[in-house]
Amino acid sequence: MFAYPTVRISFLFLALAVAGVLVADIAITTANPWQDLGQFFLGVATPNFFSTEGLMTALLRTVAFAFVGVTLGSICGFLLALVYRSLPVRVFCAFIRAIHELFWALIFLQFFGFHPLTGVLAIAIPYAGIFAKVYSEILDEADPEPARLLPPGTSSLAAFLYARIPDCWVQMRTYTAYRLECGLRSSAILGFVGLPTLGFYLESSFSQGLYSDAGAMLILFYLLIATMPLWVRPKLLPFYILAAPFFLGEGLPIVWGNVERFFTEDIIPSPIRSGEGLAAFTHWFGDVMVTEALPGIWNTVVLTQIALVATGILALLAFPLISSHFGGPVRRTSGHVFLVIARSTPEYILAYILLQLWGPSMLPAVVALALHNGGIIGHLIGRQTNSLKLRPDAPKGLSRYSWELVPRVYRSFLAFLFYRWEIIMRETAILGILGIYTLGFYVDSAIQNIQFDRAMILILITALLNIGIDALGRLIRRKLALQTMPSC
Amino acid sequence: MTMSPLKKWLAAGFLALSAASSAQADTFVFTAIPDEDETKLVERFRGVADYLQEQLDVEVRYIPVKSYAAAVSAFRNNQVQLAWFGGLSGVQARRLVPGSEAIAQGVEDEAFETYFIANTASGVKPADSLDELGDDLAGKTFTFGSKGSTSGRLMPEFYLRDVFSKAPEDLFSRVGFSGNHTRTLRLVEAGTYQVGALNFQVWEKELENGNIDTDAVQVVWKTPSYPDYQWTIRGDVDERFGEGFKQKVTEALLSLDDPALLESFPRSGFIPASNDDYEPIRATAENIGILD
Amino acid sequence: MSGYDFNGLTASFDGERVIGPLSFSVQKGEHVGLVGKSGAGKSTLIRLLYDRLDGEASLIPQNLGLVNALPVFHNVFMGQLDQHPSWYNTVTLVRPFRRDKDAVRTLLRELGIPEKLWVPTAALSGGQRQRVAIARAIYRQAPTLLADEPISALDGPMAWQVMAMLTQQFATSIVALHDVEMALAHCSRIIGIQDGQIALDAPASQLTTADISELY
Repeated sequence: MFAYPTVRISFLFLALAVAGVLVADIAITTANPWQDLGQFFLGVATPNFFSTEGLMTALLRTVAFAFVGVTLGSICGFLLALVYRSLPVRVFCAFIRAIHELFWALIFLQFFGFHPLTGVLAIAIPYAGIFAKVYSEILDEADPEPARLLPPGTSSLAAFLYARIPDCWVQMRTYTAYRLECGLRSSAILGFVGLPTLGFYLESSFSQGLYSDAGAMLILFYLLIATMPLWVRPKLLPFYILAAPFFLGEGLPIVWGNVERFFTEDIIPSPIRSGEGLAAFTHWFGDVMVTEALPGIWNTVVLTQIALVATGILALLAFPLISSHFGGPVRRTSGHVFLVIARSTPEYILAYILLQLWGPSMLPAVVALALHNGGIIGHLIGRQTNSLKLRPDAPKGLSRYSWELVPRVYRSFLAFLFYRWEIIMRETAILGILGIYTLGFYVDSAIQNIQFDRAMILILITALLNIGIDALGRLIRRKLALQTMPSC
Repeated sequence: MTMSPLKKWLAAGFLALSAASSAQADTFVFTAIPDEDETKLVERFRGVADYLQEQLDVEVRYIPVKSYAAAVSAFRNNQVQLAWFGGLSGVQARRLVPGSEAIAQGVEDEAFETYFIANTASGVKPADSLDELGDDLAGKTFTFGSKGSTSGRLMPEFYLRDVFSKAPEDLFSRVGFSGNHTRTLRLVEAGTYQVGALNFQVWEKELENGNIDTDAVQVVWKTPSYPDYQWTIRGDVDERFGEGFKQKVTEALLSLDDPALLESFPRSGFIPASNDDYEPIRATAENIGILD
Repeated sequence: MSGYDFNGLTASFDGERVIGPLSFSVQKGEHVGLVGKSGAGKSTLIRLLYDRLDGEASLIPQNLGLVNALPVFHNVFMGQLDQHPSWYNTVTLVRPFRRDKDAVRTLLRELGIPEKLWVPTAALSGGQRQRVAIARAIYRQAPTLLADEPISALDGPMAWQVMAMLTQQFATSIVALHDVEMALAHCSRIIGIQDGQIALDAPASQLTTADISELY
């Protein structure tokens, strides 16, 4: 079995994760974790929809920020995709998407403050980077033949509009719709840093143990996402997009002097700002690296590796839930509901909930990341098995699972997993804001101490780490000849 | 046909930008550090906003924030002109905004304290001095409040380092930041953390209201007193809201005597304060490296 | 210009020579049929010629090169994108002008598929798709046609009719055909390709089916 490179790499990652578990801080520290979890589920079962007057407004704002942010991101991403061949553009896009929405929000909060632009840009910028990459992949896959056949002298605009866009249109639309769903999740969690979206109220209710209020918010959020096919219609889109900017709320006015100050003073390393010379800077930088960056990188990498393997295991266990090769319609429907909930819940919110219930350690983060990402991959793999036709006398049950299905889907499973590697790392870093000692913890600490120079260095390091993992993931996918589609 | 949605998307994008950059009329905005449960904060500061609006004759608005740093940033960025800060956040804010002043503090804030509390099952027993607790504390789990809190972070960390000559993470097996004082209390009460440090006023108020299970959690040590919370105002408010505005705000705060409103802080009243009152806090913060 | 001189045509795949070097000339007014067994290099030769002509000819490639998501009208209209300013083309994408609609509909009527004007080409049968590609080539109104098996998916009478139409619409044409009888009937000159070289080059009137079958 070890003759297969896919199997060898799987066991290598498994071994790394096991080693990670041995050194990682995995524990349940609350006295009554199951009681708390029970109370939480009781809260979800007895939702209170009338707790906050602001709940409906928050929901509206969540949708508005998602729409405006994703629209702006898709337009900029599309324009960037047109020049994506240029190396500087590719590097720029890799960089802006390597920084998580929440980090962007934390940055903009420092100079735009609680202005709607903070939330809009926090979504639009990283999304533009992602859109640019995916749109350009889609455009590259378009059949080049029609463009070759055009009469010479055809303007490049006409050539693009006729020979390129139409064949890509459906795929781009599907992907944009998928990102809109992601945008709703991003928009919701922006509330955790103070923007007026759902996360704002969710955090308040949760931290006060008002589980019925929190339950109501979660249910509304799932409904919002689950009913997307009903209310996000191509015909209604222009209306939503035109209306959304008016529902972002007023926030507070921007003071433009703050923007200049942020870039010319705040983020300049303090030894340079106060003119203490290179030696002082080296000392300062060394201090940031040793006391914050390195521990942060170590914890981020350890947690990422554990979460990646946990995601893989969960996805492999979960895909039969919706596979037509197992169980009856009742089980498949409930499996579907479970996977939809798992993938609709932002990792950040899941991790936040579990941290409240189980106490601080890496465990809640691992479980949250595995549930969300495993839900997504399990869903995709499950759907893929539904298109497989087995011979009539194929074995049933466990043998069917292990001999017929897993070997058939294993390569695309690995492709999805390595595709999400970078995404998992980006999330892992951000979960530090919740108190796990990954890079986000140190970024948040620096911001809390009003040391934006430190925060920026740490955010840059996080971005570089993500770019590195992204490159490594692509290298592995290429070496193993795993193909991916961007819809994951 | 196929292209029309794309074009509409484009048009809407520009609209989004233009709508987002519109400004609004002059409102006097204030904020407060989120040191307690949000419902309590909103209740408390809406009352203050109504009171100030009545006294000052301008529109007054309170905005809740999610972190101490967000309060400081909003103040620095002139998106709020007045703030109810803790000792440390006030020092941070005034350093960043030249001309800003501490104008009023609570009667209790002259001599504020931090309580170290412990879950009774942890075996940590009350003591008169911190070094007596040394053996008990070693290897326990410990939570601060917010990272930017004076009573929940700065002072407890200062005393821990001062007495044990160790960073908290070397002394305890696990160190966390609960986020606010109410949560520190709940987490230690529930045993999630064995020991914690919080604002003594929050403890006393919750105790009085019967919200603490004294069989589960007890106070094990009290810090010496230090100056804490204060109202800080920007230096440029007179230019913006008219001559003498700062004075009017100060007087309004000092003469606040609505018992229900004072109870919600909880303070028995407000007294004058000055920037120099917080010199000890600045020194301490520099000492442990929170301030450069 | 009275015709085309093609000199030193070569093509290689993976370092292996599949075409040439070969040279030949085509006079204006000639209708050349390229014949030879599959794999002889006809398609590659058509591509080479198209590149040599810098796109100054209409091309019907074997895979047709249709934009599947666009309706038949737009696929045909693409043959004249160079004739209009950009704004005109862009408006046409959303809302075509009457005179273009009429012109394309007339062309489709001659090809027997007028009712398919607004159907996306993805929804058409193989024969219908082939006729859309032919309509696009004709609509372009280039003087010369290069075509690679343009009637392979058409049945008897329609195939004849379309071949007649092509030779009538284009002054000069070079068409690869596997149907030898069709080639003899519609072309004025036959070039036989074997192993990437010209194995036969003669006026169609001097050849019989038997002469050509030696190539296969």
